[in-house]
Amino acid sequence: MSEISVLSTIKCNQQTIRSVRFNVDGTYCLTCGSDKKIKLWNPHRELLLKTYGGHANEVLDAAGSCDSSHIISCSADKSAILWDVTTGQPIRRYRGHASSVTCIKFNEESSMAVSGSIDNTVAFWDIMSRRNEPILVLKDAKDSITSIQVTDHEILTCSVDNHVRLYDIRMAKMISDYIGHIITYGSMTRDGQCYVLSCNDNTIKLFDKDSGEILNTFKGHECRDLRLENAVNEKDSLIISGSATGEVFYYDLISSNVSQKLVHGPKPVVSLSHHPTDCYLLTASENEIKLWGTKKMEL
Amino acid sequence: MSESDSDEENFIRYGTPLEPFEEDEVPTKRKYQQQPDQYAVDEHGRRRFHGAFTGGFSAGFGNTVGSAEGWTPATFKSSRSEKAQRTNQRPEDFMDEEDRGEHGIAPRHMQTHSEFSGQKRTRPRQYHDGPIPGEPVLEQLVQAVHETAAVKMLRAMGWRQGQGTGERVSGQQKKRARDQHKVYGCYIPPEMRPVSSIACIIENTQTEDDNDSSSSEVDYDTLFAPDDYEPYILHRKNDRFGLGYSGLSRHSVLGNLVGEYGSQPSSSRSHLVMKEKGRKVSIRGQAFGVGAFEAEDDDIYASEDMSHYDFSLGGTDSKTDRKPVREKSNNVLEGFVKSSAPLPSVPSYPAPALPRDYRPAAAGARRSRFEPTDQPQRDQGLGRHELTAEARGALLGETPLTKQPEPSTKTIDKEEALLKVLGRNVNFVSKDTENKSIDFIPITDSGKELTKVFKPFASDRKKQARYERYLVDKAVVWERGGESDSLTEWEREREMVEFEQAAKLYKPLSGIMGDRFTHASEPDEALNPLSAVAKSSINYGLATREQTEAAARGVYGVMTRREAPWRPDSLVCKRFNVPEPGGVRQEEKKDDKPKVSYSIFSYMESSVHDKDSFTKEQSTFSGSKSLQREPPKPSQTEPTSNTDEITTKTDETMSSKGIERLFKPEITPTGFRKRLTVAELFLKESEMNKDQGKEVTETINKFDKMDLYKSIFLSDSEDEEPIPDKNKTDFIDVPKNVERNTSPPRGIFANINFDELNSWKRNDDKPPTGTKKDEEKIEEKDSNSNEEQYYGPKIPDNLKKRLEADVGDVVTAVQEIDSSSSSDSWVDVKEVKKKKKKKVKKHKSKHKKKNSKHKKKDR
Repeated sequence: MSEISVLSTIKCNQQTIRSVRFNVDGTYCLTCGSDKKIKLWNPHRELLLKTYGGHANEVLDAAGSCDSSHIISCSADKSAILWDVTTGQPIRRYRGHASSVTCIKFNEESSMAVSGSIDNTVAFWDIMSRRNEPILVLKDAKDSITSIQVTDHEILTCSVDNHVRLYDIRMAKMISDYIGHIITYGSMTRDGQCYVLSCNDNTIKLFDKDSGEILNTFKGHECRDLRLENAVNEKDSLIISGSATGEVFYYDLISSNVSQKLVHGPKPVVSLSHHPTDCYLLTASENEIKLWGTKKMEL
Repeated sequence: MSESDSDEENFIRYGTPLEPFEEDEVPTKRKYQQQPDQYAVDEHGRRRFHGAFTGGFSAGFGNTVGSAEGWTPATFKSSRSEKAQRTNQRPEDFMDEEDRGEHGIAPRHMQTHSEFSGQKRTRPRQYHDGPIPGEPVLEQLVQAVHETAAVKMLRAMGWRQGQGTGERVSGQQKKRARDQHKVYGCYIPPEMRPVSSIACIIENTQTEDDNDSSSSEVDYDTLFAPDDYEPYILHRKNDRFGLGYSGLSRHSVLGNLVGEYGSQPSSSRSHLVMKEKGRKVSIRGQAFGVGAFEAEDDDIYASEDMSHYDFSLGGTDSKTDRKPVREKSNNVLEGFVKSSAPLPSVPSYPAPALPRDYRPAAAGARRSRFEPTDQPQRDQGLGRHELTAEARGALLGETPLTKQPEPSTKTIDKEEALLKVLGRNVNFVSKDTENKSIDFIPITDSGKELTKVFKPFASDRKKQARYERYLVDKAVVWERGGESDSLTEWEREREMVEFEQAAKLYKPLSGIMGDRFTHASEPDEALNPLSAVAKSSINYGLATREQTEAAARGVYGVMTRREAPWRPDSLVCKRFNVPEPGGVRQEEKKDDKPKVSYSIFSYMESSVHDKDSFTKEQSTFSGSKSLQREPPKPSQTEPTSNTDEITTKTDETMSSKGIERLFKPEITPTGFRKRLTVAELFLKESEMNKDQGKEVTETINKFDKMDLYKSIFLSDSEDEEPIPDKNKTDFIDVPKNVERNTSPPRGIFANINFDELNSWKRNDDKPPTGTKKDEEKIEEKDSNSNEEQYYGPKIPDNLKKRLEADVGDVVTAVQEIDSSSSSDSWVDVKEVKKKKKKKVKKHKSKHKKKNSKHKKKDR
């Protein structure tokens, strides 16, 4: 494996970056700041493309649509906003959560947004119609929802109530797994067979989706009280996690060893996002984001 | 002729003669004849608008150089006798008369002023209060000549100035109307109404005379026009004087405002005048009140103006004249008359009889909110409102804190006083709890102790004593109670009812309730809001003990996994491009509409849901009895896996009947939530019978499979987990679900969340989850098993029963899982319930409470 180095560093001037997200093809990225704004960047060229303002409180998460024409963001102001990328105008505002909306994702066709909130609910918003109420609200969780992953037919929700819940639309089933620790972030491997769960016991746990058995545990990073995120690299060979110590840990998926450690800075690295197809990683710490990778992208 | 010839000859011609006019020749060009009406002509027939000048003044010809008269310049003449006047040329000087005519540019004619034309309604003008108060006389003299259309119409209808409008009334009616004059503020009785002057008295007497005369003339039926409407005009108060005080009038005697004109422009209208800038403020005007040394204080409240002052030198003869006259006249205030009628006597009512237990207390004596009231508790219809903290504790099976008898409020000992000063709640935190020896509520108390210890009327010791006596022997209480003589009959009766109710309500319910509650996992630090929220990972998300243990050991998988059916919204499926699983959706939708069901079961239910029956229940409410009384609702059961139901059944209600019922067709999973109509039920049953055979065989197969799974997955974990023998007992427990009481919790149960309690309990005595997954699979299949999925002949009943007996264990196990695994899905269930109960309005509020409570717990 070639050496991963910092390719670019962007000072976002957004106070604290709550989350950083690649867009669907990995050429742009979104940063959600605690200054209530979302910024669209080209991280490879360190270019600021657009700023989206309209939230009434910290923006906690954002996602770009599959055609990169819309952005959906959620905020501590209990609402989610659908943005038009080019005009920068909010198209629709979804109010329905009773508390801060912590995470939001589009579905595969970006026809629906799924948001999770501190109010223990997961809400489904129809983007296609003009309905302002959630189509479906999942109230299974007994505590805050920390993260959501949406695949073509599944919704994975992680909650502070120590449960991971997988809602399978095809099977019309809800599978809940008790993990025993607060799950700060859950992602799925790219083959869709495993959950990668960041727990607040300073571990990342790899679970088999079908059986619910634990496959591996990754230790080395420090969690503290942070909502650390994790990511899986493009080849499903590495698990990447931020750390409260300001480093980024690369774990080998099979051997669970730390294969690489990137030092971002002194402040904790909470949010990170991996390029969907290439070896690029975005990490956010305080008000700066860094793009890591093996080589510069040819543009 | 000859002459003419000779003339021709004599004349000498010069120039060329015109061509002779030929008669037959038609002249080619006719001379243009202008029509006379195309000229603009003035009233005198003179032509207007000369030349190219086509608009504006016609003066182009009138007084100009080119005119016939020519232009005469203005001359200046001045002589000794006739001094030249200064003349201003006005535009009219250069205009013709027509321009000043009616249709001209500057019309000049007399018009009535709009004020007098009657076209405009005259506004009630405010008259400044000059020396002569009221409307100026001139204003009255010079009246508007023209009248408004309305006035004209009224006139035509026979109205006169000064009359009111409306139907004519008789004299008496008129008088009555006058008496009932609208008065703002206090209405002075007619006898006491002030009469301003003697003239008024005279008038009064006259009116009385009129009254008499009119009463005598009633037979004539004379009708009078009603009185004119007097508008009540509120005058805006635009000064800052006290009410009724108008200060020194700013109007001089001549009526113009002081400092309005004639004085320096710098003088302001204010009474406060700055003489020199920032130096001195001189105040003009009249002060309010009377000096201490002034002898005469008769006129202090009269509005003063300059007319009250003496402007001439001389004696005060007029004043001295006036006073004695006034005093002589009637010995009353000026403007008032001694009333002839005596004042109406104020009716005196006797003081209200004080209630028996009233104890006078000083108004200033402060009482703590939490001090016990000596008055009996409010009597409310339902006994549950009388529950005190102790009562509730007793219901929960708590040993009441050994509390010292409450000292009466008068003799609060020092310690308590100190506590009160410290702001502690004396009643709720008794001294015994201070040592914190009783941290948790012991829940295994027998009922007998409770009856002894529990005191519903602890606040009133005498009453409590009576109550205890009542409990011992109901008849004896009133016979020998010496202090009971102090009570009235009514009070006694009421107390009797109270006691009855209390005896029923506070009966120990340890049997039912004891096992529903568990210790709090964390000490409740409600008193200290600043204490950090402890991380309690116990029972997070309603995880069972097995789950937590498994997770702690790192044995994830079957142990920690739990599946529940989840029905995604159809639109969600559409958006995710996933075909909607199953066709159950429609059914549920149908359920949304309240179907009018004429089933016998609905009637059975109605006996509970009716308001009357509800209150009846309440009045005869006693713990488990009412539940027993409940008619069994066989097909009410909802055996689908996700519906965890309230089981408020006690063990004693468990009967063999219940077990039998378990195997009746109703228990087979149907997926129906609604009550079935009778017809439907029959249909269902016949179909069920058909299906039964296959189903059973399937379950047998699965049972075998289950063993296989068990041997694979649970080989290690099963050894550690003791397989509880409870399984057997639980088998008997199952019918709880069957005969479950679906009526809303009532009375003291109203706020208790049985669902939660149940599920918690259930989770604990669940069999090892090894087989769970598979069982759930079975369960799901079962629940999904609609009638259409099964084919083949139906199994005969006797065979079916035999099979059931064999598979009994399986079925019960399945049931067990139903109830336990459903804690995941129980928000959904709740929702369903909520929906159901929305229809029943009267429970709505209760439910809200319940839900909110539930949420709180979830957090």
